[in-house]
Amino acid sequence: MNTKLKVSEISKIYPGCIANDRVSLEFGSGKIYALLGENGAGKSTLVKILSGVVKPDAGEVFLNNESIKLNSPLDAKKNNIGMVFQHFNLFETLSVFENLSIDSDKKDKELKVLVNDILKKYNFKIDLDIPVLNLSAGQKQKVEIIRCLIRNPKVLIMDEPTSVLTEQETDDLFISLKQFSKDGILIIYITHKLKEVLSLCDEVAVMRKGKVVSVSNTIDEKIESLANKMVGENLNTIKKKINNFKNNEEILKISNLNFKSDDPYETNLNNLNLSLKKGECLGIAGISGNGQNELFQILSGEIITEGTSIMFRNKEIGKLNPRERREYLMAFSPEDRISQAAVPELKIYENVALNNFKSSNFFEKGLVNEKKIKEHSKKILSNFSVNTDNVELKSQFLSGGNLQKLIIGRELITSPELLVCFNPTWGLDVGAINYIHETLIQINEQGKSSILISTDNDELLKLSDRICVIYKGKLSKIMNADTVTAEKLGILMGGGSID
Amino acid sequence: MEVQLIKIEKRNDVSRSIYFLTPVLAIFLTLFGGGIIFYILGFNPIEALKFFFITPISDLYGLSELLVKATPLCLIAIGLSFCFKSNNWNIGAEGQLIFGGIVGGGVALLFYNHDGFYVLPVIILSGAIGGMLFAMIPAILKTYFNTNEILVSLMLVYVAKLLLDYLVVGPWSNPEGFNFPETRQFSESARMPILFEGLRIHAGIFITLITVFLSWLILYKTYLGFQIKVSGLSLKTAKYAGYKGKTMIIIVFMISGACAGLAGVGEITGPIGQLHRNISPDYGFTAIIVAFLGRLNPVGIIFASLIVALTYLGAETAQIFLQVPKYTGQVFQGMILFFLLGSDYLLFFKIKFLGLKKNEL
Repeated sequence: MNTKLKVSEISKIYPGCIANDRVSLEFGSGKIYALLGENGAGKSTLVKILSGVVKPDAGEVFLNNESIKLNSPLDAKKNNIGMVFQHFNLFETLSVFENLSIDSDKKDKELKVLVNDILKKYNFKIDLDIPVLNLSAGQKQKVEIIRCLIRNPKVLIMDEPTSVLTEQETDDLFISLKQFSKDGILIIYITHKLKEVLSLCDEVAVMRKGKVVSVSNTIDEKIESLANKMVGENLNTIKKKINNFKNNEEILKISNLNFKSDDPYETNLNNLNLSLKKGECLGIAGISGNGQNELFQILSGEIITEGTSIMFRNKEIGKLNPRERREYLMAFSPEDRISQAAVPELKIYENVALNNFKSSNFFEKGLVNEKKIKEHSKKILSNFSVNTDNVELKSQFLSGGNLQKLIIGRELITSPELLVCFNPTWGLDVGAINYIHETLIQINEQGKSSILISTDNDELLKLSDRICVIYKGKLSKIMNADTVTAEKLGILMGGGSID
Repeated sequence: MEVQLIKIEKRNDVSRSIYFLTPVLAIFLTLFGGGIIFYILGFNPIEALKFFFITPISDLYGLSELLVKATPLCLIAIGLSFCFKSNNWNIGAEGQLIFGGIVGGGVALLFYNHDGFYVLPVIILSGAIGGMLFAMIPAILKTYFNTNEILVSLMLVYVAKLLLDYLVVGPWSNPEGFNFPETRQFSESARMPILFEGLRIHAGIFITLITVFLSWLILYKTYLGFQIKVSGLSLKTAKYAGYKGKTMIIIVFMISGACAGLAGVGEITGPIGQLHRNISPDYGFTAIIVAFLGRLNPVGIIFASLIVALTYLGAETAQIFLQVPKYTGQVFQGMILFFLLGSDYLLFFKIKFLGLKKNEL
């Protein structure tokens, strides 16, 4: 049974971004293919097109040289394309077998025989009669895989399958996937983890900004070469002049900080140590999902830790919430500007009031001082060239760039000593990006510090004085930005070590 | 087989005037739906609706009765709006009302042979505190044990009801009452002053109006109100801004419970004058409809409470003149909510028809 899958000139355009730009790829059975790329590179869109969830604007999909139409997930199933998503779609309170039979048109008796054959063949150990909620993440994933195997798939697509697995479970999964491949199933493996690509896959296609930038055999690749392809080759282009520190005053120090999450989709942070000087920008690089989100929340106070683990201007602030930290002159610009940093249904001046200080007098004796907030908002709109002067406008009507200017402006107008920002320019146009970059350089020149958590390496190299890399919740050692090379970042982002 | 493909999309901007007009539309649809029901039952729909909605308030006594019913509804709904605005689903106002009634009633019984200006304020205050404490149970369980407040607050309604049952049958029953399940009549000083001779409308209406005004002040003019608004729109943003989520949950439940408790104590010291098994015709549940019909807005809630109060009166008149059971009142309340939710859905979402498609299932 030979399966050939070909996507030809696939394009998909969303408002403001080209998710897939004339993507062409060929796959053949017997091999495991990696689809590698950062978040937003377009790999999820391609996978959604293959599984019938999204319709492409242009291009065709061929299965065994025949053009197929994938208008719905049902079409994908009919063409024997199976898909295991990163987040499981199982009914927690139903038993394993009930979950399998819901999706199948076979009689229960037949199905049971079939499922037992699959269990035996691939040496899966799962009790079919216990409720799914009692299973581990790895076992739940196996249930999803069995659900695909029941339909005799020709193609099996795995979307970031190891993000919730332990190392042992990952090893087991790889053994199974290799076995499926031997049995003639074509496997497409989506990931941003470089090591997995090298240890599991035969061929690797790298996507960046909607385009396929390289297709190669994994034997010819190394972690660094893949990382470079993934984040862009022009790693050392523009750089900010490195600060010559007149004073070595330490403004922030994090020592031995640990964070363990209850949520399996979150990343635990292990033994974080970092220090930041006055007027300095510390860049934190890394492939998304390695703990950046958790690190930001720890810095902002959305996650509270031990008091002594974070020192800001010689005060213990680990136990303080974001509002209390603002009183100590910290400011925060989260990644999710649309639904976290601002509320779309609120007016501009109400969104400004979210950053509330004792000294700002927005709320005097518990009462809203609307006049004061509006004056303050007008100042932000003009100082940070937001494209409106109407503070009564709901913020949902601002473009991404203007909204980000408003948020950065709101955070900076109080002259904080430290600004923490997380992917401040994602999804913005070039003009807005430049504006934000200039603003961030400016605050360093004024002697204020910043921490820039970003998945955009160009941005990090342009703005940072020192850079470190976060990988699986651990920080690499902190390097001076002028000594950082593309190779070094690539190795560290993929989990390797240097020196 | 060919099927029509439908896609449901969120509307981005909903005009404010239409947002406040849809409740009015819902009321007209309810009248229309009610007319159809009366027609099926064999009545002239116009006549029947007239009996239901006009006759009850065509004299002074009727208007007074309308206000008597609207007073607790409005009060509870205002309290609930604090919870609902901040995404806390307090469904147990009925229980908080009863518990407030029990505590206030207990104090009133304690003073049954006392006279003095201080008696009524003490009773009212203790009723409010009773409702407040009872509402804190689901709030504390939610904040510290992650329980679901809908379930806990709802189940506590039955706890309060059974407790009231036990008290009026057992320890608190009137010693001279021939074992009727009711307490003594409260003393004159424990009763709400009547506003007009011969009518039942009482001073409780002022408590309601003052509460409405204070609520408007808190919701729209204070930092607490701002925090409630932000939390209701986005919990993520509230966390990012550093609002104390747990404290706020407890505060909104306390406000809501106190309002329900006040309504309970207003009923027993006002029109009822003692404790018995049925001190509330489900005001606590009906107030949920009032809160949503009034768009969680203090002024809106005043109008909504008058309209829903009318369904109580209408049901009574309809029972007398048309011999239909008084539960038709609840049918009308249900229809109001149904049409409101229905028109809200169409207000916030649009339905797109994507054309015909062959279904090959």
